[in-house]
Amino acid sequence: MDTVTIAFSLLLLPFLSSLITLLFLRRLGNIASLLSVATSGGILVLSLFLIFQGASETFAWQGTWIKLADWELKFGFLIDAPARLLLFVVSFIGFLIHIFSLGYMADDKSKSRYFGGLSVFMFSMIGITVADNLIMIFVFWELVGFSSYLLISHYFSTKEASEASKKAFIVNRIGDFGFLIGIVLTYWSFQTVNLVELANQADFDPTLVTTAIGIALACGFIGKSAQFPLHVWLPDAMAGPTPVSALIHAATMVAAGIYLLLRIDFMFTENAMSFLSILGACMGLYAGFCALVQRDIKKILAYSTLSQLGYMTAAFGLGMPGIALFHLMTHAFFKALMFLGSGSVIHACHHEQDIFLYGGLRKKMPITALTFLIGVLAISGVNFLSGYFSKDAILLSAYNINLPVFIILYLGAVLTALYMFRLYFITFEGESRSDDARKAIENGPLMTGPLILLAILSVFGGFHVLYPVAISESILSDVEKVANMPNHLWMIVLGTFAWIIGGITARNLYSNIGQIDPLSKKFPTFFALCKSKLFFDEIYTLYLRKIQNPLTRFLEVMELLFISGLMVRGTAGVSGLLALLGKSFYNGKIHSYAFWFIAGTLAFVAFALGYTGN
Amino acid sequence: MNIDQLLLLGSIVVPLLTSISLFLGLGKTDLFIKNVSYFGFLFPLVSGIILFLNFDSSLGGYCFEVFYPQMGLQKLNITFHLGLNGVSSPLFAMAGVVGFAAGFTAINTKVERLRLYLALLLMMQAGLMGLFASIDLFFYYLFHEFALIPTFIMIGIWGGRDRRSIALEITIYLTLGALISLGGLVALNVFVDAEKFDFPTLSNAILESGLGKSTQTKIFGLLLFGFGILVALFPFHTWAAKGYESAPTSVSMLHAGVLKKFGLYGLIQIAVPLLPQGASVWGSYLMWMALGNVLFVGFVTLAQSNLKSMVGYGSVMHMGYCFLGIATCSALGAGSAVMLMAAHGLSIAAMFLLSNFVYRRVGTYEMNEMGGLGSKTPLLACFFIAVSLATIGLPGFGNFWGEFGVFLSLGRSQDHHIFLFLAALGIIISAVFGLRAVAKIFYGVPTEELKNHEKKNPITDLKISEIVPATVILLFLLLLGLWPKIISERVDHEINSRYSNINSDYSSTLPPCCPPEGIDSSFESNQSSIHKSLNQIHIK
Repeated sequence: MDTVTIAFSLLLLPFLSSLITLLFLRRLGNIASLLSVATSGGILVLSLFLIFQGASETFAWQGTWIKLADWELKFGFLIDAPARLLLFVVSFIGFLIHIFSLGYMADDKSKSRYFGGLSVFMFSMIGITVADNLIMIFVFWELVGFSSYLLISHYFSTKEASEASKKAFIVNRIGDFGFLIGIVLTYWSFQTVNLVELANQADFDPTLVTTAIGIALACGFIGKSAQFPLHVWLPDAMAGPTPVSALIHAATMVAAGIYLLLRIDFMFTENAMSFLSILGACMGLYAGFCALVQRDIKKILAYSTLSQLGYMTAAFGLGMPGIALFHLMTHAFFKALMFLGSGSVIHACHHEQDIFLYGGLRKKMPITALTFLIGVLAISGVNFLSGYFSKDAILLSAYNINLPVFIILYLGAVLTALYMFRLYFITFEGESRSDDARKAIENGPLMTGPLILLAILSVFGGFHVLYPVAISESILSDVEKVANMPNHLWMIVLGTFAWIIGGITARNLYSNIGQIDPLSKKFPTFFALCKSKLFFDEIYTLYLRKIQNPLTRFLEVMELLFISGLMVRGTAGVSGLLALLGKSFYNGKIHSYAFWFIAGTLAFVAFALGYTGN
Repeated sequence: MNIDQLLLLGSIVVPLLTSISLFLGLGKTDLFIKNVSYFGFLFPLVSGIILFLNFDSSLGGYCFEVFYPQMGLQKLNITFHLGLNGVSSPLFAMAGVVGFAAGFTAINTKVERLRLYLALLLMMQAGLMGLFASIDLFFYYLFHEFALIPTFIMIGIWGGRDRRSIALEITIYLTLGALISLGGLVALNVFVDAEKFDFPTLSNAILESGLGKSTQTKIFGLLLFGFGILVALFPFHTWAAKGYESAPTSVSMLHAGVLKKFGLYGLIQIAVPLLPQGASVWGSYLMWMALGNVLFVGFVTLAQSNLKSMVGYGSVMHMGYCFLGIATCSALGAGSAVMLMAAHGLSIAAMFLLSNFVYRRVGTYEMNEMGGLGSKTPLLACFFIAVSLATIGLPGFGNFWGEFGVFLSLGRSQDHHIFLFLAALGIIISAVFGLRAVAKIFYGVPTEELKNHEKKNPITDLKISEIVPATVILLFLLLLGLWPKIISERVDHEINSRYSNINSDYSSTLPPCCPPEGIDSSFESNQSSIHKSLNQIHIK
C-alpha cells in the first residue's frame, strides 16, 4: 500500500464503521462494540504503518475539494513529525480506551450509539491530526465538537448530561467563531490556508503576521482546550461516560488545541506568545485551586486536565512547542490512566462519584489502586516518572525565560501534588465510608489490562530516548535546548521539593476523615473562594438571564409592534380606512347615488368648461 | 429532441398534466390518485438528478435547451425557452428532491379532500421546476406565480391557526413583492430594448448598450425590494414565520425550501450581473438589511418556544447569509450563496418535515410541553439531530460550505470586516436555538403534558413512509457536505463568466494586491491612468 491509500483508509475506516453502526447495528449493541474495537485496532495498525513507513520524512498529498471563483480548497494530508506523534497518541490511547469501554459499557442499553460515537470521534480526531490546511482543520475541529456533543449526551435523560452537552457545543462554537474569523483573515492576507505555504509566506514576509490574526486563530484553541474564559464547559462535560472523559476530555481532543497552536506557531507575534504563556500559567494555578475543593472524582480530574493544559500552553508561549508536545504525550498517558482508574472505581461503586463516599478501596481493588497511584505520582512530577521529565522541562524553561510565569507554574506544581494526593488518600486509603465502597470488587481484565499498560507508559513514557525517532523527532530539538539551559540541579531540587510538600500536606490533611471536607472547617473562607470557581458559571447564567433572554424577548416585541404591527398592519390599516371612506358612498340609497351622480356630472362639466373656456 | 431535453420539459409537463388530470377528476379511487401523484413527484426528482449529473459545466452557458419561438407572444419578445446553466442546475435538482419529499409526505398524510390537495401541490411542483428551468424572464415569472398561488389557497384551506387572516396577509405581501419585481423586470426590458426577453439576450444587449448608473440604481432598487420581500429580507420578513407556522407541512417545505429561492435566484442570475453599478450602490444597504436577518431575526428565533415558528424564523435568519454573499457583488459571494441556497432548501425542508413528525407524536408544537422523546423514538431523534446540525452549519453537511464561502467573501475587503464579524455571530446564535430545541424535545424526561398525551396516543418511532422522505433529503445534504466539488464545479464556471465584468469593476474599488510602483511615465495611455487611480486608492 502506498502512503496515500493508508492515509485515506485511516480516515475511511472509522467513518465507515460509524456509518455501518448507524445503518445496520442500531439494535445490535454487542456487534457494534466489537466492530468499533476492531476498527480502532485497525487504526492502530495503519497508523503505526504510516508512522514507520515514512520514518522521518514529511509526507504531503492534495486533491481539490471545492473550487469556487477565487477560492480553491484542497483536501490534503501533511504528516510530519508532530503529526506522527499525535497520531501515535490518538491511535494507541484510543485503542486502549476502546478495550476498556468493552468492560465499562457492558451493561449499557445503548451501546451502539456509544461505540458509533467513538468511531465518529476517531474519524474526526485523525482528520485534525493529518489535515494540511486550516479550513480542513476547522472542518474536523467542528466534527470533534459534534462527537463530543454526542458522547457527553449519552445519558441524555439526565438533566446534567443534556445541559452539559449543549454547553460544550455552544462554548466551543464561541471559540470557533474567533477561529473562523482568523481563518478568513489569514486567507486574504496570505492568499492561502495551506500550512506549508503559510509557513513559507510568514518566513518570506514577517509583516503579514499580526497579533490580531494570531489571537483570532488562538480563539479556536481556547475553546477546544478549555482555556480561560471558555473553560466552563469541560468540568460539566464529565456528565458523559468515563471512558469518553478519558479519551476526549483528557487525552486527545482537548489536547488538539495545543496541537493547533503547534501547527501554526509561525502565526504568532511576540505579544501573542507572551499572552499565551501568561494565559496558560494562570489557568494552571486557577484550575488547581478549583480541583482542591471538588468532591466528584471526575471533576477533580477535569480541573487537573485544565491545569495541565495550562502548562502546555505556557510551554508553547515560552517558545518551546516541542516541550508542549512532550507534555501533551506524557499527560495523555497518565491522565488517561487516572480517568480509566476513576472509571474502574465508579464502575465498582455503582456509579457513585463522590470521593468522600469512597475510602479504603486499595484493599478491595489493588490493581486499580496501584495503577492510580502511579498516575498520581507521575502527574505530581515524582522524579524519573514520565510527568517529571516533561513538567520539569517546562518549569526550567520558564525559570530561564520568564520568571513570573515560572513562579505561577511552580505554585501550580505544588498544588497539583496536593490535590492529586488528596484524591488518592481519600479514595483509596482509610476506612470505607459507604456501602457501595465496602462492597466494591476489582474489575475484570478488560478494564485492568489497559490500566496496567498505561501505568507502564506513565512510568517509562518520559524517557524520550526510548521512542523511535519517527515519533519523538518533533520534541528532540526543544528537549535539547532545555538540556543546555543553566540551573539544572537547582530545578531538580525545587521540583522534588514541590511534590514532597504537596504529598505531605495532603497526608496530614486528609487521613482519617469523615464525609465532610476537612478544608471547609479549617479554612472556610479559602474553601468558599475556591468552591466559587471565581463565579464564571454565575456570570454566564447572569448573561443568559439578564441580557440574552430579555433582549430576545424585547426584539420579539419590537418586531411584533413595529414591523409587523405598525408597518405591515399600518399599511393595511391606511388602505382599510380609505376603503371605509369609499365604502360609505355605497350605502344602497338610490337618492344618494343620484345626488353624487349629479354632483359628479356638474363637477365634470365645470371642470371641462373651466379649461376650455380659457 | 434528445432524452435530456425531454426530461427537462417533462419535469414541468408531467406534474402539470397529473395536476390537471386530478383537477378534472380522473380516477375515482384513492389508490389511483396516489399512484398518479407518486409519478408526478418522482419524475422531477429523477430528471433533476439526471440532468444535474449530465450537466457539463465546461461548455458554459445553457445546456439541454428547449426553444419554441412561436408561442403567439413573439410580438412581445416573449418566447418559450427552457434550459439549465451552472447556477440553475443545482437548484433545479434541489427542487426535484424537496418536491419529492414534500409530495411523498403529502400522499401519505391523512387530509381532507386529498385530490384537491395533491392537485394543487403538483401544480406548485410544476411551477417550481419551471422557474429554475426558464431562460425567458416572462416564463420565469409566470412559473413563480404558478407555484405561489396554490400556496395561498392551501394555507387558506388546510392551514392551522388563524389560517384565513394569515393567508390574506401572505397573499397581499407576496403579491406586492411579486408586483414590484415584475415592475423591475419590465423596466429592464423597456430600458434595454432587447429583441428577446431572456437572460442571454438581455445581458448581451446590456453589455453592448450599457445602462447609466442612475437607471441601473433605480431598476436594481425595484428588483431588490421586490425580490427582497419574496425572500423575507429584513424588515419585510414578518409574513414568513407566521405563514410557515400556519401552512401545511408540504407547503412549508416547498415554499421555504424552494419557492423562496426565486428572489435570490433572480438577484444572482439577473440583477447583480446585469446591473453591477446599481448593485454596488445598493450593496451596502443590502448588507445592513441582511445583517438584520442574521442578528435581529436570529435573536427573535431564540425567543421562540413553538417548534414550527422557530424553524420558520430560523429559515429567515439563514437567508441573511445568502443576501450577504450577494451583497458583496463578487463571484465568490454569489457562488457561495448558490451553494447555500441548494443546501438550505434541503435542510429547511427536512426541518419542517421532522417538526411535523414530532408533532404527530406529541400533538403539539410547544417545545416546553415535550421532553424525553429520545428514548422512545431514537430514529426520529437521530434524524432531527442530524438535520438541526446541518442547519446550524456543521461541516459534513452542505450548509457549511455555503456559509463558509459567504464569510470568506466578506473577508476580502477591509470595509466588509465589520459585517464578517457581526454575521459570524450567527453561528453561535443558530447553535443555541438548534441545540436547545434538540434538548427540549429529545433529552431529559417527558413533561406532565406529554405523559397525559401519551396515555391516549402511544408514541411510536418513525414509520417507513416517514423514513423515506427524510432519508432522501439527508442523503443529498451529506453528499453536498462531503463532496462539495460536485456542486461547486457546476456553479464555478457560470458564476465566473457572469461576474467577471463585475469583478474588474469591483476590484477597482479595492486595494490591488501588488500595485505597480513606478510606472513608466512615457505611457500616457489609458493604462497608466488606470494604474494611477489604482495607486491612489491603494494609498488611501
